Amino acid sequence: MTFLYEVKNLDFNYQLEGVQFQALKKVNLKVSAGDVMTFAGPSGSGKSTLLNLMGLMEETSNDMIFYNGKCMGSMGDGDKNNIRRFDIGFIFQSFHLFPVLTTYENIEFFLIRQGVDEKRRKELVQESMEVLGISELQNKRPTQLSGGQRQRVAIARALAKRPKVIIADEPTASLDQKNGEAVVDHLFGINKKFGTTIIVASHDPMVLRHSPKIISLKDGEIQKESL
Amino acid sequence: MILKFSFRNIWRQRSRAIAVLATISLGISALMIYHGFNAGIMNQYRENTIRARFGHGQVNTKGYRDQIWDKPWSKWFELSSTFVQELKARPEVEFVFPRIAFYALLNNGEKTLSGAGEGVDGKSESKFFTTLNVIDGKMLSNEEDGILLGKGLAAALGLKIGDRVTVLANTHAGSLNAVDVYVTGIFFAGMKSFDDTFFRIQLPKAQELLDTHQVESMALGLRKLEDWPKVESWINNSREFEATPFNVLDKVYYQNSVDFLQAQFNFMFLVIVIIVILGIFNTVSTIILERKGEIGNLRANGDSYKEVLGLLLTESVILGLMGATLGLLISYICNVTLLAHGIEMPPGPGITRQFTTFVELQASFIPVCYLIGLLSSLFGTVMAARKVLKMPITELLKG
Repeated sequence: MTFLYEVKNLDFNYQLEGVQFQALKKVNLKVSAGDVMTFAGPSGSGKSTLLNLMGLMEETSNDMIFYNGKCMGSMGDGDKNNIRRFDIGFIFQSFHLFPVLTTYENIEFFLIRQGVDEKRRKELVQESMEVLGISELQNKRPTQLSGGQRQRVAIARALAKRPKVIIADEPTASLDQKNGEAVVDHLFGINKKFGTTIIVASHDPMVLRHSPKIISLKDGEIQKESL
Repeated sequence: MILKFSFRNIWRQRSRAIAVLATISLGISALMIYHGFNAGIMNQYRENTIRARFGHGQVNTKGYRDQIWDKPWSKWFELSSTFVQELKARPEVEFVFPRIAFYALLNNGEKTLSGAGEGVDGKSESKFFTTLNVIDGKMLSNEEDGILLGKGLAAALGLKIGDRVTVLANTHAGSLNAVDVYVTGIFFAGMKSFDDTFFRIQLPKAQELLDTHQVESMALGLRKLEDWPKVESWINNSREFEATPFNVLDKVYYQNSVDFLQAQFNFMFLVIVIIVILGIFNTVSTIILERKGEIGNLRANGDSYKEVLGLLLTESVILGLMGATLGLLISYICNVTLLAHGIEMPPGPGITRQFTTFVELQASFIPVCYLIGLLSSLFGTVMAARKVLKMPITELLKG
């Protein structure tokens, strides 16, 4: 059986101002298509590093992470760019919406980069906005939106790409309780509706309560997996 | 969409966009005005050279100008020759001015000074040679016994309008001959050596003085400057005659000035371009640093280094084109307002007279301005973006 992700005995070190830090130690992990998983742990536990590595955003030459059976260490920049462009949707704590684009245009942007034709783009954008309940915000720019609305736009943008996996780093950290819950509902709802794999890094107890599978990390090591 | 994205991004930090636009547009307008200023001076020099003394060029018998002749008159020619008639009939040729140049002594009854004389057809030359600055009296025209001489020469001989003067020279047979003339005009060209020695008398008077019916050369006045190469080629293809353009005849004053101004312009051009590039680099560096998060997002979602650079360069292309257009507009507005009355210039090299020059903006320089605006904007952006784009995505996302 081929897993979407397979992490085998992963060690990962940071070099910070000449000093080496070990961010991950002997991490083993398997993620199947359709899984929903949350990496939990305090700051510095390694959860964001692991998420970044799985999102192919961290430079690594090691051969301990496999995506769809392919070793990441042996992938070229072009392969990684393609996987990030077509297979992975990203949600960040600080949203990273383009301030000069409207909600509609923000969601559409990466579809243009994927080369999706205009008709299909329209369908995907509208469907994503409907799922997230933000159709009425389509002509508004990020500065005209609340934090919760911005994060829903960011989720819609990730969803519109129809990725195999959505990677979300602290998606509720900038939101209040009510908006945070709405975002989590939407995020995990996408898994139910579209079968998209969802991987989240969070230390928010509310997220952890809703998460079906939690991987707890501490000092770069997996402490426990709970279902 | 990408164009819309780039265009909106430009205006997202209005003050910085204005700073970049100001850098490009001021650089371009400085270049355009400086280029127009040079063109104005060069055109004025050219017009002065052509309309004061040399015409568009000169015709001599072949080889005449190449060496000093023991008997120069042996290379002189008759105006009645077929060649001269054909030359006059050419559509490009408006005037043919026969001339003889000679050295002579000028005597006012008390003292004698040497001078460089020229026998000319005063009547026809007065129609074409309009920029020889006559400060007293008038150009030589119908006066058979008239003499037009330089300010320095007139002052040295104490001559004023209407005074008589004797011109003495050797005939081609070697005997001394003299003609009496009276002063009809005094000019001030602003070139000391010319003003101190040069004089003109009517061609028949000069021929009488030198005892000849021939002429030494013909100055040409064309309908258009652009016709010179065609006329020159026709003359040089003849068996007996050759043509010399005005810039060669007046190399010291005209061509050297043009070369000097061009070298100065090239240096200033380089300085302005470097200032513009550094200005853009400085502002764009700040803009890009503030957009690290956005660049990280683009990279995270699959954009390659080159694709993100492409987006930034699209913005710089728009800025470059807008800046160049604005710069051209500024230069035009300055030219029709602040510079409309010309610029008072001190005497140039080798000249003693002040003059007024006008900035003549050249349409042919517009493409160069756009190219400079575009390339400096692109170059400044690449320099500024290089380092940021090479940062890891996770670093970029931290903003």
